Amino acid sequence: MQAPVNGFLMSTDRRPMLLMTPALLWLFGLMVVPCLLILVLAFFRRGIYGGIEYTWTFENIALVFDPLYFQIFMKSAGIAGLSAAIACVLGYAAAYAIAAMPRRHQPLLLFFAVLPFWSNYLVRTYAWIVLLNREGLIVNLARWIGYEGELPSMLYTEQAVVIGLVYNYLPFVILSCYAPLSRLSPEIAEASRDLGGSAWTTFRRVTLPMTVPGIATGFVFVFVLSIGNFVTPALLGGGQFQMIGNLVYAQFLTANDWPFGAALSMVLIAVMLGLLMGQAVVAERASGGKRAPDG
Amino acid sequence: MADRNTFRLMLLILGVVFAFLYIPISVLVGLSFNEGGLPTAWTGFSTKWYGALLENDDILKAAGNTLIVAVFSTLLSTILGTLLAVGVEIRRRNGKWLETVIFAPMIIPDIVLAIALLSMFSLMGVKMGLHTIIVSHVVFNLAFVCAVVRARLKSFDWSIVEASADLGGSTLNTLRRVVIPVLMPAIIAGALLAFTLSVDEFIIAFFTAGAGRSSITLPMQIFAMIRFGVTPEINALATLVMSVSVVALALSQRLNKGGLPGQ
Amino acid sequence: MSDAFLSIKDVNKTFGSVRAVDGVSLDIHENEFFALLGASGSGKTTLLRMLAGFEDLSGGDVVLEGASIAALPPNRRPVNLMFQSYALFPHMTVAQNIAYGLEMDRLPRAEIKTRVAEILEVIQLGHLAKRKPDQLSGGQKQRVALARALVKRPKVLLLDEPLGALDKKLRSEMQLELKRLQHEFGITFIVVTHDQEEALVMADRIAIMRDGGLLQVGTPQDIYEAPGTRFAADFIGVMNFLPVTAGDQGFVARDGSVILADRVNGTGGAIAAVRPERLVLGDRGQNTLRGTVTNTAYHGLDLLLHVTTRLSDAPVIARMTAELADTLRPEMGQEITLSWSAKDTHIFPA
Repeated sequence: MQAPVNGFLMSTDRRPMLLMTPALLWLFGLMVVPCLLILVLAFFRRGIYGGIEYTWTFENIALVFDPLYFQIFMKSAGIAGLSAAIACVLGYAAAYAIAAMPRRHQPLLLFFAVLPFWSNYLVRTYAWIVLLNREGLIVNLARWIGYEGELPSMLYTEQAVVIGLVYNYLPFVILSCYAPLSRLSPEIAEASRDLGGSAWTTFRRVTLPMTVPGIATGFVFVFVLSIGNFVTPALLGGGQFQMIGNLVYAQFLTANDWPFGAALSMVLIAVMLGLLMGQAVVAERASGGKRAPDG
Repeated sequence: MADRNTFRLMLLILGVVFAFLYIPISVLVGLSFNEGGLPTAWTGFSTKWYGALLENDDILKAAGNTLIVAVFSTLLSTILGTLLAVGVEIRRRNGKWLETVIFAPMIIPDIVLAIALLSMFSLMGVKMGLHTIIVSHVVFNLAFVCAVVRARLKSFDWSIVEASADLGGSTLNTLRRVVIPVLMPAIIAGALLAFTLSVDEFIIAFFTAGAGRSSITLPMQIFAMIRFGVTPEINALATLVMSVSVVALALSQRLNKGGLPGQ
Repeated sequence: MSDAFLSIKDVNKTFGSVRAVDGVSLDIHENEFFALLGASGSGKTTLLRMLAGFEDLSGGDVVLEGASIAALPPNRRPVNLMFQSYALFPHMTVAQNIAYGLEMDRLPRAEIKTRVAEILEVIQLGHLAKRKPDQLSGGQKQRVALARALVKRPKVLLLDEPLGALDKKLRSEMQLELKRLQHEFGITFIVVTHDQEEALVMADRIAIMRDGGLLQVGTPQDIYEAPGTRFAADFIGVMNFLPVTAGDQGFVARDGSVILADRVNGTGGAIAAVRPERLVLGDRGQNTLRGTVTNTAYHGLDLLLHVTTRLSDAPVIARMTAELADTLRPEMGQEITLSWSAKDTHIFPA
């Protein structure tokens, strides 16, 4: 039998591919291929004048694990982890609070909580420079209330970078924690109270476990986005401060050692993929376990 | 949440978090209107710093470049992303690899994508400029447009497509008069999102702009200015840039109730 | 036979290894209100979608007014479908929804306007012409969906569970309304439903479907009074079933008594059946039974007695009119004798 004219919009085979091809080609040519290129580039050597010498070598990969650079990886991971943790605590609390508000206000509150996330991240990071620098607002406020002494420099420190990262990604965590919290039926908490649980116990043993997926997603994403971040460490950490993102930047712009920069990126991607896959596995297990049999 | 005290606690938490989120930005906005320009003292309301921006040729050029990049990359990514979304949703059986490729541009660290594209362009001997930025921006923009349109398609009632066919509509008519109009709010929301992301994007633009000064975008300009230190002009510029994002996002939200990825 | 208005000839549909529709042949007359009745999975919806053009035929043919339409795509068939979910275009007003099909037919604008206005009058929704679907109630949406299909004056109108989403009272009203509309427009209606009461009320003829095949076709009276199979007898209305074995003088029930039956179906009779309303109080009928009232169900118009007997595991259900119930006032635990005649007794094989 011939396919109906409108089979096009209801088919499961070749025709939808036509719609998808242009975009897929674009992604292939301008994302997959460049990334593969980087993969290959990592195994070449920096030429004498800064170009690329096409000899196959593992020295770049080895260099990544050199104590000097490895230390930077560890520090980046530490900062990313700390930022993710702080963001998760604040984000979960905020999401919980929003979910506790009357239903009709929640969308608006959520909108305002997430709005900063979509504004320019350069600007958001810059705002902290304005606040924290030597002539910045905080210093001026302190002076205004009479503090005379020398204030420790708040900018160009590790703490500033953490604050910056938390600030940038907090809205995302709020969003990801809000989803499971808003889906929670109030009757579950009521059942816990009815059976004798206190507010804290209810939270600890019922609410929290049921909303952990949101926290996990938030944590992984903030960690992943932070560890590869360039702008925030560059602006708030100062010239001396190096995280992986800055390292890669340096290799490509100043040191002109593209192969090494590529090797660093590769390891970064590997770490990221590992985490994301781990999170996907955990998420699948969590949702698989909760699925109730039909009827 | 029957407790009065708990409710107060919730309000407190919200207060603290919202303060944390909005004070830095508010300070920035406030300072941009400060006559004196510095946080040391408030010397009166003034828009002179905004005026100064208009005098600054570099900034104007960068703004123009940013607009060009944003408009073209939005156009391209909206078309590609929408087609991709429709194709993926019709095709129902999609493998994990396909989903990964579509999802990847949103989570790949921008610096990695930036250097990857730079490497490829220089290896191919491509002369870089605004066109390479546009082409690079489309990569992540189309993924976002696709995500927004797909979210709408998940709750799309396909029986109206059958109804259109039953009533005599051809494939073209059905697309034109039924599918696209119903999807339009999501498509526009996606486009606004892509526009905003492109306007704000820094690192990929930085690496794919090439050596010349003629293809500097606004974020690149801002970055360069920040490197030299805090100035009132930056405050004004930052406020302007933020307002563009806020307006675009608010519009997008209005059009497509909760259509942003993640909501 | 073959100049029936719509002829479904030995139609099959297979999905993978599943035979959804199995050799169905049916002749439907012009201007008939026809019902396809069956449980979910019986194949009735698949058959309907094949008539509309949304499923290809795996075998067989569909002939409308002498010409085969099986190869025609849905947008070229003079057949329209009223969807179970209504499928109204959410971005168009009521008037635009209804006009859509006429626009696809490329009718002149003035004529479209007139016809839309006319049908809005008929369904009494003229005052809502400019509203969008999300501003309508369930019943209103249903009428718009109906109007949208009817306005094209199709040769056949297919309705997929048209009343499923409505509440009971509205459903009863709409059953009569649909019947009236079918009569007024003179269009052949084919309704798919799982609700046997609905089919009985609305249809001129009913086809019972089971496991992809046709079980029985006939008028509501035929099917109700003379079900050909145990399944049909059970599916339509309420029926009492009494296990029996074939004997010399008649059929022997569990307690040894003989049951006389006129309507014997098939051979090797193993089940006797009689409708609740055919049972009367007393022992004057050809067949009798004795039992205890174990439950009463009051239905306003009548009273249903559940009587436990030795003739079957399930209680026998007897119908008593309201007046009789008032006079006799049956009570739980009361001993009761019921009888009925052979002409109301059906026999089915195992």
